[in-house]
Amino acid sequence: MVKKTLMIEGMHCASCSGNVEKSLKSVKGVKSAKASLLFKKADIEAEEDVNLEEVKKAVSKLGYRVAGIK
Amino acid sequence: MNMEGMNMEKQESKRDTGGHDHSKMESDEILDWKRKLWGSWVFVIPIAILMILEKFEMMLFDEKITTLLILILGFPVIFFFGWHTVKYGLKGIFTFFFGMDSLISLGTVVAYLTGIASLFGGIADYSGVASMIMAIFITGKYVEAKARGRATKEIMKLLELGAKKARIVRGKEEIEIDINDLKIGDIMIVKPGEKIPTDGVVINGESSVDESMVNGESMPVDKLKGSNVIGATLNQDGILYIKATKVGSDTFLAHIIQLVEEAQGTKVPIQKLADKITAIFVPSILVLAVLTFAGWWMYSGNIGSALGIAVSVLVIACPCALGLAVPIALTVGSGMGAKRGILIRKGEAIQTMKEVKIVAFDKTGTITKGKPEVTDIYSKVKENYLFEVAASLERLSEHPIAKAIVNRAALKRYKEVKNFKILRGRGLEGSIGKSKFVVGNHTLMNERKIQVDYFREKIDEYEGLGKTTMIVSENGKAIGIIAVADAVRDDSLMALASLRRKGYKTVMITGDNERTARAIASQVGIDEVVANVLPEQKAGKIEELQKQGMVAFVGDGINDAPALKQANVGIAMGSGTDIAIEAGDIVLARSSLIGVVQAISLSKATFSKIKQNLFWAFAYNVVAIPIAVAGLLYPVFAEIAMALSSVSVVTNANLLRRKKI
Repeated sequence: MVKKTLMIEGMHCASCSGNVEKSLKSVKGVKSAKASLLFKKADIEAEEDVNLEEVKKAVSKLGYRVAGIK
Repeated sequence: MNMEGMNMEKQESKRDTGGHDHSKMESDEILDWKRKLWGSWVFVIPIAILMILEKFEMMLFDEKITTLLILILGFPVIFFFGWHTVKYGLKGIFTFFFGMDSLISLGTVVAYLTGIASLFGGIADYSGVASMIMAIFITGKYVEAKARGRATKEIMKLLELGAKKARIVRGKEEIEIDINDLKIGDIMIVKPGEKIPTDGVVINGESSVDESMVNGESMPVDKLKGSNVIGATLNQDGILYIKATKVGSDTFLAHIIQLVEEAQGTKVPIQKLADKITAIFVPSILVLAVLTFAGWWMYSGNIGSALGIAVSVLVIACPCALGLAVPIALTVGSGMGAKRGILIRKGEAIQTMKEVKIVAFDKTGTITKGKPEVTDIYSKVKENYLFEVAASLERLSEHPIAKAIVNRAALKRYKEVKNFKILRGRGLEGSIGKSKFVVGNHTLMNERKIQVDYFREKIDEYEGLGKTTMIVSENGKAIGIIAVADAVRDDSLMALASLRRKGYKTVMITGDNERTARAIASQVGIDEVVANVLPEQKAGKIEELQKQGMVAFVGDGINDAPALKQANVGIAMGSGTDIAIEAGDIVLARSSLIGVVQAISLSKATFSKIKQNLFWAFAYNVVAIPIAVAGLLYPVFAEIAMALSSVSVVTNANLLRRKKI
């Protein structure tokens, strides 16, 4: 299991963060996702071999920008 | 041009402080909305004038030309300043990831299209309305972004607290390095008024240090050789040479930040309902808008007004207020806590706290300081003399009681001791000058046949209060007694009195014997005492108490972990640097029971704010949506109401700050 934090730009309402969570959870290997509108980030827990590009895509396909992963 | 100037300034200030992504992002967002706000109103004000004139039938131009003008003026408002919203909103509709953008963009685009359609014939023109809605939406977002910035203020401050640079000694030189290059063992030089770069121990120099960031306490703490210091606290008046003991993510500040950040990810149970509703809210409103349109069209036969009403429904619904209601209040609450050294780790604790009826405490290290102190002396000889000989002997022992006596005596010079011997479990002996001294407990005095009758009454009195008595004898005669006890923390009494006043039942759970436990309990005013409890039984005792009601347990973290977990709310006393991160739902950075009282009132205040917010957000939608469906609301007013509702939720959360904790 790895924990990652995505810094996300562009979320500006509660349904945005809800959508980000939903979309992140649908990525293969992602076990949990919590998006915070206030802190402009999402924390995920995922399998070791999760494809971070897929994770990024899950956010960007909704129109938000991933400013960084740590 | 102006914009560029502002960006430059921001770049500069970023370099100055070393900058933190968070604050920069926050202000970037506000700036962005501000730019859109001005831009959109520049176009919307002439539109409004045209619309008002049209209403009063004071036509400057032909009707078609007016419509055309409004369409031209409105285009940049919706498709340039509002482009971000429109793009994501429409994308959301096609990908089934609906957001509030979807509602606004659908509402404005449909309304705008009515303007174009009206050029070709008999349909009501809502294009002016479309631009106004977008401008009001942007204005609301700007105000909300600003208020959100205020809500996260304390937490952001915490993140920016760390020092950016450190001045260290390399060889014989003083050099300044980046905080990230600092290593364990580096000697840092901290001048008056500077922040201590990282956790360490003082190896030279004396000063007082403002540790309010750690414990909310305003009094500076004196630091001298051997004192531990915490990174990011403020050196006041002397130069300190400090050896770094922890760096990077191991420091106290890093731990606190981690705690607070993790807490933002946890959810208050009451939020689940709001989350569920938010998830289905937007699609439901889309369906409702379509039904409203269809219903009104069939009923009135007027496609134009049916569209207007449907647009009202789209733009009045506000998922934002619902979704923000809980997290925003939690953020303000935990920020207020962090400022006072109260770290809320789990949002759930806030909700549970209001049900708590019983507050149980560990004794040692929680109600008491956890280390013995001299409390009383009774002596046949001069007090100074008694301490002089006792401390000179006890200095050679490592026992906590010995340390208490040495600390109290605080001698500058010690007498030379010969023939020193530790008598395990009983005391010690040794010679000073020509006299032979024996210091120890009752058993030891009996062994040596030393008479203690003169002190009998006092010994019984002290021991009755749960104190340990050491008898000092010189050449076979008892000369004085020193009573030692684990002293009660200064503010335990006040904190417990305040809890009782608020109607909580207080219980003390301790491994200590009944007598000591009762003595302490009556000193601070505790309702119930459970003594002789083995560490592994503590959780079981909590479970028993839980039959009477919800229990909050206060313990000092490390050995109390199972009890902290068992309790409905676990409050861990994290003493200074060795915070036990995993132990509690709430962690107190300052080791004072006043923190418990504050944590309870903060939790309650935060939760009632959460409930208020949820109530208003629900009530708003429940009232406003039917009014819009009934066609009683002009779309522009619908959008104003919507903007106000999400702003009011955030503002209301910020009002939590007014509450005295």
